[in-house]
Amino acid sequence: MEAYHYPQFNTVVYTAKFKDIKNAEALRSRIVKAASLDGADGEAERDAVNFAFIEAKLITSSLHLETAIYQALLSESQGSLRTKTIHSEIIWALNPTNNISEAIKLFGVSGRTTDLILVHAATSDTCDVQQKMHNIVDGRLVPMSTIPDSTNWANVKKHYKLNGELALMEIASDSDRERTVIDNIVISTVAMKSVMT
Amino acid sequence: MPSSSLSSPSPTQRLLGSAQLIYQGAEAKVYKVYLRDPELQQIAKHADHDTCSMAEDAAPVLLKYRFNKRYRHPSLDASLTRQRVAGEARALMRCLRSGVNVPGIRMVDAAGGVLGLEWVDGKSVRVLLPGGSEVMVAQDSDATDDVGPDRCEDAALAEFGVERDDLLSMIGVEIAKMHIADIIHGDLTTSNMMLRRGGKDLVLIDFGLAYHSSLVEDKAVDLYVLERAFASTHPDAEPLFNSVLASYAKRLGKHWSAIKKRLDDVRLRGRKRSMVG
Repeated sequence: MEAYHYPQFNTVVYTAKFKDIKNAEALRSRIVKAASLDGADGEAERDAVNFAFIEAKLITSSLHLETAIYQALLSESQGSLRTKTIHSEIIWALNPTNNISEAIKLFGVSGRTTDLILVHAATSDTCDVQQKMHNIVDGRLVPMSTIPDSTNWANVKKHYKLNGELALMEIASDSDRERTVIDNIVISTVAMKSVMT
Repeated sequence: MPSSSLSSPSPTQRLLGSAQLIYQGAEAKVYKVYLRDPELQQIAKHADHDTCSMAEDAAPVLLKYRFNKRYRHPSLDASLTRQRVAGEARALMRCLRSGVNVPGIRMVDAAGGVLGLEWVDGKSVRVLLPGGSEVMVAQDSDATDDVGPDRCEDAALAEFGVERDDLLSMIGVEIAKMHIADIIHGDLTTSNMMLRRGGKDLVLIDFGLAYHSSLVEDKAVDLYVLERAFASTHPDAEPLFNSVLASYAKRLGKHWSAIKKRLDDVRLRGRKRSMVG
């Protein structure tokens, strides 16, 4: 697990990547149920799943994720969140279009998820975040630097509409170079989403 | 987390407070900054990585801050600033998708007037060509550190492992790629180009005046602006600019003849087509 410190927002963001997830479908339905539970049980359940659950296969690098986190923190500080929480805002920021349910379907956890990234934003250092992650995710913790290893580049190209772009046609033969270029375009797309149209 | 009362500065203002000013123009200030604390905390030891893995530290970004213009009405100022940040980001995005070498976008706060861009490690083309370093000495002191003032640009070029002719043809290719994508830079000068360390990429920067156009006229004027910039910055500029044009022409192929013809017209009449104003 890693901690990113953003002094300008008085915020610490914890991120962790898990591999070989075995309870993806159970996790997804648990998150959905938690939203509608009433009373103290509901509060406890919502606290247990108080993370952004992100499909790691559509993330190209930790900078890609960090850019979405930054733009979400910025929206929150300006009172212009497009979704209900900072965590859903991060998922929304990753999706190239404005449709919230499409964003969650694509970039959130699904029944087919095997690689998952958890993100938790907090106002102060909290020590039990990692324990909370392990309590809900059945998978193997791996460093964030392994993100590009599980990226599904064909799907990234499809969802960010990069097929047929001149930038990729020139270098189609060099896959290392292609990945660097895709990563840079994808990061830039996330960063400029607020002024895209 | 949510706190933006009038008394406390906005997060973007706080970020600017921690940033290092590197350039101030009439329109904007340019800073170097880290979006998060550059030292990353690796909290967990990973089961399958016994040794603590090398964490990626944050890379710096360049912030272009369009500060408040007190001479404009506040609401006009806010809307112009917003539009210009958005316009620059869109022009960069179009370049990125078309394969033009430009800095990637890292952060946008249009309301705050701030555009965050990928930090390009390299040198301005202006100081790499003859004559250009003379005025820039104050800002780029390392160019003249241990070499005499005469030939320092050649020494700087050698440091990048690039011949002058290669550099000139890289400039032509990059502008051609941009014009093929119908983007007009609007302010082409050798100061608005950088050679990335390693010498492989020529990066076009400062898209503050860029716009979208497929007109031959706009492309010819873009080239004419660069020709004038060469002439005023670098002595004996004609062969330099001709090398740039030659590689531009080669890359553009069949569209070159129309632009060449128009460039000759523009040279006769100047940048402004109509004589009004």
